[in-house]
This record gives sequence, structure tokens and C-alpha cells, in this order.
Amino acid sequence: MAHSSRGSAKAIPWFLFAAGGTVTAFVLPVMLIVTNLGFFPSAMSYEGMSGFLSWWIVKLAVLGILTLGLWHAAHRLRVCAHDFGIRADELVAWIVYSAAGFGSVAAAVALLMI
Amino acid sequence: MSAATTDTANPRKPYVRPISKTSWFLTSARYKSYMVHEVSSIFVALYMIQLVAGLFYLAAGPEEWESYLAFLRSPVVILLTLVGLVFFVIHTTSWFKAVPQATRIMRGEEVLPGKILVTAHYGIWAAVSLFVIILAWVA
Amino acid sequence: MTATRTIQLEVLRYRPEQDAKPFFQTYAVPVEDEWVVLDALNYVKDELDRTLSYRWSCHMFVCGSCGMMINGEPKLACKAFMQDYPSGKIRVEPLSNFPIERDLVIVQDDFVEKLTAVKPYLLPKQDKTVEQGEYLQTPAELKKYKQYSLCINCLCCYAACPQYGLEPSFIGPAALTLAHRYNTDSRDAGPEARGDLVAAHEGVWACSFVGACSQVCPKDVDPAGAIQQAKLYSALNFVTGMVKGDK
Ligand code: SF4
Ligand code: SF4
Ligand code: FES
Repeated sequence: MAHSSRGSAKAIPWFLFAAGGTVTAFVLPVMLIVTNLGFFPSAMSYEGMSGFLSWWIVKLAVLGILTLGLWHAAHRLRVCAHDFGIRADELVAWIVYSAAGFGSVAAAVALLMI
Repeated sequence: MSAATTDTANPRKPYVRPISKTSWFLTSARYKSYMVHEVSSIFVALYMIQLVAGLFYLAAGPEEWESYLAFLRSPVVILLTLVGLVFFVIHTTSWFKAVPQATRIMRGEEVLPGKILVTAHYGIWAAVSLFVIILAWVA
Repeated sequence: MTATRTIQLEVLRYRPEQDAKPFFQTYAVPVEDEWVVLDALNYVKDELDRTLSYRWSCHMFVCGSCGMMINGEPKLACKAFMQDYPSGKIRVEPLSNFPIERDLVIVQDDFVEKLTAVKPYLLPKQDKTVEQGEYLQTPAELKKYKQYSLCINCLCCYAACPQYGLEPSFIGPAALTLAHRYNTDSRDAGPEARGDLVAAHEGVWACSFVGACSQVCPKDVDPAGAIQQAKLYSALNFVTGMVKGDK
């Protein structure tokens, strides 16, 4: 009746989902306010942003937030698809996790270019 | 457990009530609020994509960054931002609410009361938010 | 005597030998304020309609047999007080997500199978003989899982859980909680002895933490919490297993 290998394959994505859910819960609301609402023009200026992102520690933090946020969203979207009645779980999982993986690598590349 | 035919020997004929696979969550307020926090992931995904794209614009140079900022000022983005902000706060509060259920910390012989955990999370949330705002302010 | 009022009790009926589909039958029941819904059903059975079938036994929230949908919420009929239903109309249905055997009686076979499958009993690390004494435990060790041991198998949580309704292979809240209760018992050998099932696809991972189960549980067992903890446990287990190289 049980297939532990199948189930365990869910452990890693769930871990990232849980970690991502925690990190995003703390930082996303304030980040969204800062980046998207125009209250902080000097921080969002080219000089401000590139100066800020020239710090290695900041790069690492940003990469962490982006990676975990992407995995969190990917996993939840997978569950969402299931809940909306889309039952091609393997395919959905493949799509959302690859997208998250791709996004994480892209974020790392971009950060290295800055 | 399968349904038996109606004969005198076995009159069992269990009736299975149908459930809609695509609209079940409309059947109760509880399910609806669950779906709202699930749907918050769409906005998290969109925002993450926006940020990753932003990093590339920043790397490309000042002019490209300006065009990114202009994009952020477009009405569609502003609207999505406001809706997204609501979903983010829902995500945060529903996540914090679930923390004491998902983690059980023992303090000596007692289970640490959930309220303390939740309050601590709100405290950290406030501190983190304040820290980011100050950081953005002095920049 | 307290004031008596008459309510309309709408009951979902299903008589397999004659009905193709369930239907609602309404009974006018004179009730008293300190009554519970179960008393109203008993009144129907005693005075109005002897053909009505439903389960009950203790009338004091301990046996777990009287779980049913009351105005759409899974509840114990013996814990649903008339005072909380002032409207004069109460709708009673068998627990959602289960096949209907007859009237308010559901088919429980699926749950019983799952309950058996999670081995809801102590699997000691080392068997002791009677001479060697009891399996001892400190109060702190007891408190770790006590809440999860209070389940009365009323199945309200299964009726509330959308994932069980959608995917009946899901082991479900009460059985997984009980597995967790034994897994976290200091006297038990732990998940390795019963873990496979819990960590399987149909186990904790099929739960999406809707939390509905915990909201309806009449004994405050918090199955949703137990399942999330079991997820964390089995995820950590998987990771340490990988590090040790035995997966
Ligand atoms: S966990 Fe609660 S709701 Fe579920 S069967 Fe046990 S007592 Fe009933
Ligand atoms: S928390 Fe899990 S078990 Fe409980 S109702 Fe939700 S999906 Fe079902
Ligand atoms: S009759 Fe026993 S719990 Fe209701």
C-alpha cells in the first residue's frame, strides 16, 4: 500500500516551500512597498540600487529570498492546480519546479553581473 | 465495500454523494479562505519574476534601469502591486497563525503556548519591516 | 419545565432497499432549550418515525458515534445544543465524504482500514517481560503527544477535509494524527516501525494544510497541527537519511 520513495520525493520541495513561506511572510510586504510604490526614490535610483547590491552579503540575502520565494510559490501553485481540479500532478510539478529552478539560476547570474 | 445489488441476501447499496473536483472550495467559507491564501502564491510568483527581471535591468545599466522603473510606474503594475500587497499580508498573517500548530516547542514540562510564538513572529515581522524601511530611507 | 418550541428537523433519508437517491424528510419536533440535536433525533425515533437510522451511544461526547453534518458543519449530535440553533430549522445529514449506508449512517470501512494500517498501538523499542516492569514515561514526555491521544474517531475531521473528499486514498487527519501520537511517544520505536505509510504519497503529503479538520474537531485534537509536524519530521528524516546515504 505504501510507497515511501514516492512520498519522500515530496520532502525536499516541501522543505523549500516551508522555508520560503516563512521568509516571504517576513519580508515580502515591506519589500513590495519599497520597490513598487515609489516612496523611496533614492533607494530605487540606479546608484542607490547598484550600490546596495554591490555588497556580497546583500547579494546573498537577495538570492536567498528569491530562490526560496520562487520555490514556495512553485510548490503552492502545484497544490493550487490540484485544488482547481487539474490532475496532471507530475506534469504540473515538473513545470513549476523547473521554472523555479530556472528563475533561481537566472537570479544568481544577474547578481553576478551587477 | 462496493455496492451490492438489491437482493434479499445483501441489501447494502451505499450511496456516494458527488463532489465537484473544480468547484468544491465554493461550498464553505472555510474552504474559500484557504483558497485565498493558496492563490497568494500567484502574486508571490509574479513578484519574484519582476524582481529577477529587475536584476537584469540593473545589470544592463542606468538607462535600462530607468525603463524598468517606468514599467513599475505603469498603472497595471501599480494595480497589481496594491492587490498583491493585500495577498502578501494575508499570506503573512495566515502563515503566522499556523506556526504554533506546525511547531510544538517544549519549555520544561509544558508545551510553549502558541500565543507566545505568534506574538514573537509579529514582533520579528515588525522589526524586519522597520529595518528595511530605515535602510531604504537612509539610502 | 422550560419553554418548549417546535423546530423543523430536516433529515437526509436514504433507504437503500427502496430509494435510488437520498431525499430530505422534515419532522416537526417539540424541543427544549437544554436539548441537543441528538435528543431531537431520539424524539423522532421514539415518537414519530421508527424507521429513521442513526448512530449514537454515550450522549456525552466520548464514544464518537454520533458525528453528522448539522447545518452543513460536521458535529457531534450530542454536543450540538438547541440554544445555538435559534432559527427553528435544523438540517441534519450524514457526514460528508463518506458513502451513505442508510439515513444518517455512513460506511466507515475505509477509515477502519486506514486506522488499522497506521498501527495505532505502542511498538516498543524493546519488548519487556512482565518481570522487567512497565514502560515508564515522564510527565513532560506525556505532554508531548497527549493532545493527539484524545481522538474519539468521530470522523468529523474526515467530513471537513477537502483533500479526503477529493482523494479517498488519503489516509486522512485522525489516522495520521494517531500515527503521530505513537511516533512521538517516548516509549515507541518511532516512525521507522510505522513510518512508511505516514511518509507515503497517501500519507502526510496529501494534506495541504487546509486546517478544516482542526476547526471542526470536537475534542480539540488539532489533527492539522499533528500532520504538519509529521511532515517536518519525515522531511528531516529524509534529509538525514540522504546524508547518511541510506536512501
Ligand atoms: S481528530 Fe477530532 S474530529 Fe477527527 S476523529 Fe478524532 S476526535 Fe473526531
Ligand atoms: S489540514 Fe490536512 S487533513 Fe486537515 S483538513 Fe486540511 S488537508 Fe485535510
Ligand atoms: S453519542 Fe457518543 S459522542 Fe455523541
